Amino acid sequence: MTTFDVVLQQIVNGLVLGSFYALVALGYTMIFGVIKLLNFAHGDLYMVGGFVGFLALSAISSVVGAGWGGVAIAMFMSMIAVGCLGVVIERVAYHPMLRAPRLSILITALAVSLVLQNTVLALTHGQYTAFRSDFGFGGINLGNLFITYNQMILIGIAALLMIALELFVSRTQYGRAMRAVAIDKDMCQLMGINVSAVIAITFLIGSALAAAAGTMAGAYYGSVWYFMGFLIGLKAFTAAVIGGIGSIPGAMLGGLILGLLEAFGTQLPGVGSEWKDVFSFAILILVLVLKPTGLLGKSEQERM
Amino acid sequence: MMQIFTRALIAGVVALSTSVSAQALDIGVQVPTTGSEATYGQDMINAVQLAINEINADGGLLGEQLAIVTGDTACDPQQSVNAASRLVSAGVVGVVGGYCSGATLPTMQIYGDANVPFVIAAANSTQLIPENPGNAFMINSTGADQAAKAVEFLEGQGVETLAIVNQGDAYSQDLADLTAEAWEEAGHTVAATETVNKGEQDYSAVVTNIRSANPDAVFWTAYYADGGLLIRQLRQAGYQGEIAVGDGSNSPQLFDIAGQAAEGVFAFSNPTAQFLPEAASFIEDYEAEFGGAPGPYAPLAYDGMKLLAQAIEEAGSTDADAIVAALASVDGFEGLAGPISFTEENTLARSNFIVLEGQGGAWTRADD
Repeated sequence: MTTFDVVLQQIVNGLVLGSFYALVALGYTMIFGVIKLLNFAHGDLYMVGGFVGFLALSAISSVVGAGWGGVAIAMFMSMIAVGCLGVVIERVAYHPMLRAPRLSILITALAVSLVLQNTVLALTHGQYTAFRSDFGFGGINLGNLFITYNQMILIGIAALLMIALELFVSRTQYGRAMRAVAIDKDMCQLMGINVSAVIAITFLIGSALAAAAGTMAGAYYGSVWYFMGFLIGLKAFTAAVIGGIGSIPGAMLGGLILGLLEAFGTQLPGVGSEWKDVFSFAILILVLVLKPTGLLGKSEQERM
Repeated sequence: MMQIFTRALIAGVVALSTSVSAQALDIGVQVPTTGSEATYGQDMINAVQLAINEINADGGLLGEQLAIVTGDTACDPQQSVNAASRLVSAGVVGVVGGYCSGATLPTMQIYGDANVPFVIAAANSTQLIPENPGNAFMINSTGADQAAKAVEFLEGQGVETLAIVNQGDAYSQDLADLTAEAWEEAGHTVAATETVNKGEQDYSAVVTNIRSANPDAVFWTAYYADGGLLIRQLRQAGYQGEIAVGDGSNSPQLFDIAGQAAEGVFAFSNPTAQFLPEAASFIEDYEAEFGGAPGPYAPLAYDGMKLLAQAIEEAGSTDADAIVAALASVDGFEGLAGPISFTEENTLARSNFIVLEGQGGAWTRADD
């Protein structure tokens, strides 16, 4: 492989990684938008999504197979289930805290994260669960560059989900309500918008996107385990901050940028693969110091 | 009083199906029963249990029945320290186990200070050797033996350039360093050395680096859970060379995670039950008792328990110094996995590594 081939290959790697980051970052950013909460349990919803997707695929694979068709159906089932779980979590854990000080709800989010993680840990004894799918290893060669069909489909599904979200937010009444609540919750309440319902829908969509990412990750990489959401949760948060927390296009952009930076970070002399995470979080610190509003974010009066 | 109560409680928790007499000799088993390596740990507990059942059926040791006290390390150095402290305070006569080297390392000092004989059945990093206070005995061949086997075998496969990937823990780093050293000494090239983080899902960047270095073979020196992912992603990316894994990846679950990508992968391993002609009846007993095939470290765990029992018998008491002396003087103990004798450093006096190959979703012998 020439240097040029390596660069191209790392771009593909970065796009795959970035798609996962972007999908999870969207939920972070949307939830922050409507209730100003950094939902640290969001990465664990990705993990739960991976397990639910695995269970769904096990249940239906005898009928529809375990190729991309089966995985897409399993993904959809996982999105619905985990979307509802997100709403339940919001109702039970966050809703009573909306008027409480910011710190209380943040700590609640950490508690929810631990509850989800440890529940799955107890159920699986912390073992890796093999996520079997019938993906071939086929792909297309462009010179020395090799792109698998799986990578293309994965990036494609992620793009479709993001386009659908963008249309939902910009074209529908609920989307408009969501944007309005993000600007001024109390005023929306006075104008007769059902703020509770808007918050619930935001959690539904955000959690569903995380579940979609989790299911695709399980099928693509081949295994799921209870701790898989921890790091990606932090990375997605980083992506959301890079793009500008609260900005939906920012989350997509931030995810892709972080994915690409990570892929190329391993190429830097002295960085290498074991420094990948250090590199990502160093970027987070840089962004927070130099441009806390991120690339597309608007400046906020109060911040956590 | 409290201690007696705790002991009774623990003995109750791990109560045997057979009768537990009021005066049981407790044997500690230190293995991961949670976490990514839990399958190995449970398997080792089962094997020790099997040995204990046989000993108890023969009237026990020193006229008393044996019982297991489990210490879960979760393959984690911090949790293993808690587990070891618990076993010590439970007053165990000796400890069998030690799977993950990184988690075994800090426990050696604890057993040394408390003067508890420790038979290490699986962990084999050479980093354990200088940490040994003298009461621990390694019955699995060391990382150095494994590195020698890896070099010898890969040379025979005509491999010239080798990429080595580890996970930065005591076991995999030790094996990676020793292999790299031996590989270069043999006059070959190490094309790339990579360290990845445990629990990472995406190895695409590492895979790209390996493909651009284009070595004849890749050697993964860490555990199966992440190894399966790496192998899968190497093959998905179109890497065509040989892939070899160390004994920490010698698990049937590697095939679950890597799928078809595990076909043709070589693994270096201590002799597992299916490749030991002496172990036929052991496999039968194990399957009858636990309803599944014994895993890769069952024979060693079984041997470790039998060895400790023989040493206790020889010492004629539960006195730790006498038991350690009896262990040190062992010469050609007939274990399932072969004869056991110790070097000056309390390591196994011979190399027991064999080479396996993944074929049709299972391990077959590759070096007969």
